[in-house]
Amino acid sequence: MVDPVIPLHANLVPGRYGADGDTAVQIGTRRISSLWQIAGWSDFEHAAQPLLVACGLAGPGQYDETQQGPDVTAWRIAPDKILLEGPPDLTDFASDSLVVLDLSHARTVITLNGAEARTLLSQVVSVDVSAATLPVGSFIQTGLHGVGVLLQARSQNGIEIFVPTTWAQTILDILCQNAMPLGYEIMSPQTIHAAT
Amino acid sequence: MIRIDCPICGLRTETEFTYGADATVTRPAMDETATQPWVDYVFNRDNPRGWHLEYWHHVQGCRQWLVLERNTLTHEVGSCRLAREVDHEAS
Repeated sequence: MVDPVIPLHANLVPGRYGADGDTAVQIGTRRISSLWQIAGWSDFEHAAQPLLVACGLAGPGQYDETQQGPDVTAWRIAPDKILLEGPPDLTDFASDSLVVLDLSHARTVITLNGAEARTLLSQVVSVDVSAATLPVGSFIQTGLHGVGVLLQARSQNGIEIFVPTTWAQTILDILCQNAMPLGYEIMSPQTIHAAT
Repeated sequence: MIRIDCPICGLRTETEFTYGADATVTRPAMDETATQPWVDYVFNRDNPRGWHLEYWHHVQGCRQWLVLERNTLTHEVGSCRLAREVDHEAS
């Protein structure tokens, strides 16, 4: 399979932008190793169980809690739908009761890090993204500029935004514009690679 | 701003949702041969004042279809349930 591209790399020009002072937010991206969506019907949990066990996951998980397996991260995004990052090819698990779909090329991750990462995010989404309602290890699906996104709290000051790849540039532009009054830094691709 | 308590995602603003349809409409039996019930089903809708059941889609969230109780006069929002569960109860 062709490696997923990171469409934002050409547009992420490393440097320091916006207001002077301490850098409030670092904006970057990271590579998605693989991203699969599994979906089903009323017997979804039963149908998905062998796949989840193979991925080292205890079960389908909660609607707001990121689930971590040995090499797989999972988000239960609907009653009969789960996103999985990191697993190998899952097509062998497809059946009449379980649909597997490779979304590796369909999503891009935008990373926000820094003391004002949540402040920046709160300017562009209508949900509360404070640490009280989006604690580390949790996720939320919402709209950003009318685009459905998944927000994941990786740390107190670290948020990942899973964006449809076709909207990644637009969302990046909006984040950068809103970050100007805060002061932000674009991380170099080398730094990003080293971090992932 | 209308806020809707999605059973999956929790309380969210209306902007995350799109209105779908009148949730009180019932499809005629498939062996119905009279024209009027089908015309009513496809085209004719009441315009109620007060509490009403509506289909809404949480398009920027869990992508689930919901049955929302909404007051068309005051915009108050009542119960919100997964359409799949409501349909199962009805059948």
